Amino acid sequence: MSARAELVRGVGLVKRFGGIVANDAVDLVVAEGDLVGLIGPNGSGKTTLINVLTGHLPADGGEVLVRGERMRGRPPHVYAAMGVARTFQLTQLFGRMTVLENMLVPGLTRPHSGWDEVARRARGYLEFLSLAHLEQLPARNLSGGQQKLLELGRCLMLEPAVLFLDEPFAGVHPRLRDELITRIRELHQGGRTFVVVDHDMESILRISRRLVVMARGSKIADGVPDAVRADQNVLGAYAGL
Amino acid sequence: MRGLHVYVLIAAAGLALALAGQLNAYWMHVAIIAMYYGILAASWSLLAGYVGLFSLSHTAFASIGGYTSALLVKWLGIPVVLGIGAGVVMCCALGGVIGWVCLRMSGPYLAIFTLGFSEIVRIAISTEDDVTAGMAGLHTAPLFQSATRLPYFYAAFALLAGSLLLMGFLVGSRWGLFLRAIREDEQAAAASGVAVARFRILAFAIASGFAGLAGGFYAHYIGIMTPSVGDLDEMAKLVVMTVIGGMERLPTAVGGAFVVEYLLELLRSYGQWRLPLFGVILLLTMRFARNGLVTPFWLRFVRLGEARVGSRSSARDLTRKDSAT
Repeated sequence: MSARAELVRGVGLVKRFGGIVANDAVDLVVAEGDLVGLIGPNGSGKTTLINVLTGHLPADGGEVLVRGERMRGRPPHVYAAMGVARTFQLTQLFGRMTVLENMLVPGLTRPHSGWDEVARRARGYLEFLSLAHLEQLPARNLSGGQQKLLELGRCLMLEPAVLFLDEPFAGVHPRLRDELITRIRELHQGGRTFVVVDHDMESILRISRRLVVMARGSKIADGVPDAVRADQNVLGAYAGL
Repeated sequence: MRGLHVYVLIAAAGLALALAGQLNAYWMHVAIIAMYYGILAASWSLLAGYVGLFSLSHTAFASIGGYTSALLVKWLGIPVVLGIGAGVVMCCALGGVIGWVCLRMSGPYLAIFTLGFSEIVRIAISTEDDVTAGMAGLHTAPLFQSATRLPYFYAAFALLAGSLLLMGFLVGSRWGLFLRAIREDEQAAAASGVAVARFRILAFAIASGFAGLAGGFYAHYIGIMTPSVGDLDEMAKLVVMTVIGGMERLPTAVGGAFVVEYLLELLRSYGQWRLPLFGVILLLTMRFARNGLVTPFWLRFVRLGEARVGSRSSARDLTRKDSAT
């Protein structure tokens, strides 16, 4: 892993909400080419960690580095501009805007981007995600699974170095989930880096090359899936699974 | 190639300019005031309809623009046009500051904050009567030395057309797309690379600048500025106009201003009872036609000759089709 370029590093990340410690000194390194599955029981701090690593929540302690650059105090759009893209646990699209417009927004935020070139790329990704025939529909009219695909497409328009996907398989029809997994695999093979959070262990294990496990705000395991699944701490945290 | 509706609009504008001289003084005054409200409604729609920032300080900015211009012309003897320009700059700057202060506010919190600001402006103008002449009213220099209102009609027309062109250009640009994305979901917009804070401040500054422009023109047309220009009644009237017209499109907001202003004059014989009537229309609009009463007519109008023009293929046109039009 050390030979690959480091994209995002969280060092001793702490995040508190009142008396609750959602992240307790968490370290996480995401390197180029990773496909990390981030798992853990409900309330273990996975989404909070993604929010902190993508600039959507300020850390109370520790710091985030993107490509070695300290990010303290920087707003989330700067993370996006530096190639850190994300989706949300509950899909957050621009509901009354069309599918194509949803794709154009991130594309046009990139410097020196032109409308025609961005639209061409957007249509290419919509084709890739099987959404091309829906480009003039308002995004809110799509099904849950299609919305997840569109959110992934919107991330891709940033041409990101790393994508954090927060529960991409939640509530998605099995057929669309398989499609989503296939697309993530293809994109990974094409050189994209992913961090995928989900409760769907089966889906996570199908795609992950590395598993990170969170419990009670702390990282309790980080390694290849087989080793992590045999880890006693993990079995303890997932007692009953 | 533009749609047929653009040529129809240009022809109608030409006709209105050519026949303006036929209007009597009363209806010409109504038309000028309707155009004043048209600029206010369009710029408020830019803020509330496109960006989702429901500010209740828009008429306060018109008042600030009017007083700034009137006082600078009075104190420094500068030309009225320069005074109006200074009012616009003042409103842009102040609007930007308000936008910055309100960065983390939305919905009812933003509405209450801007309402508070609006009341502070009104009370300050009322109280500082040695500067503003308070409730007695500040007499202003006229924009034109003319026996008729015709030059004011042309000026109001030019200001409205120019404002709509500028705002239309803005909402049809990538910035317009970003503003709509912010309205839909600020967090998702930020994750998509949109500098949300910068665009929110910019939207406040631009919309307030246009309000200041309308206010400056009004001050030097009507001849007297009073604190009531920026009071809550005026803001309520502006909301009624914009919502009844359709707040998510500039032309429908202007259409709402024209319709309401015309009806207010038509129903003048009913005195105060005409105002509850508009309240009822507003309630019915919110219940049955949230996109406004003018919007369906406008959408039918913009589709005029669509078959002849053919489908527009560029992405920019596809986004403009819904936003700028």
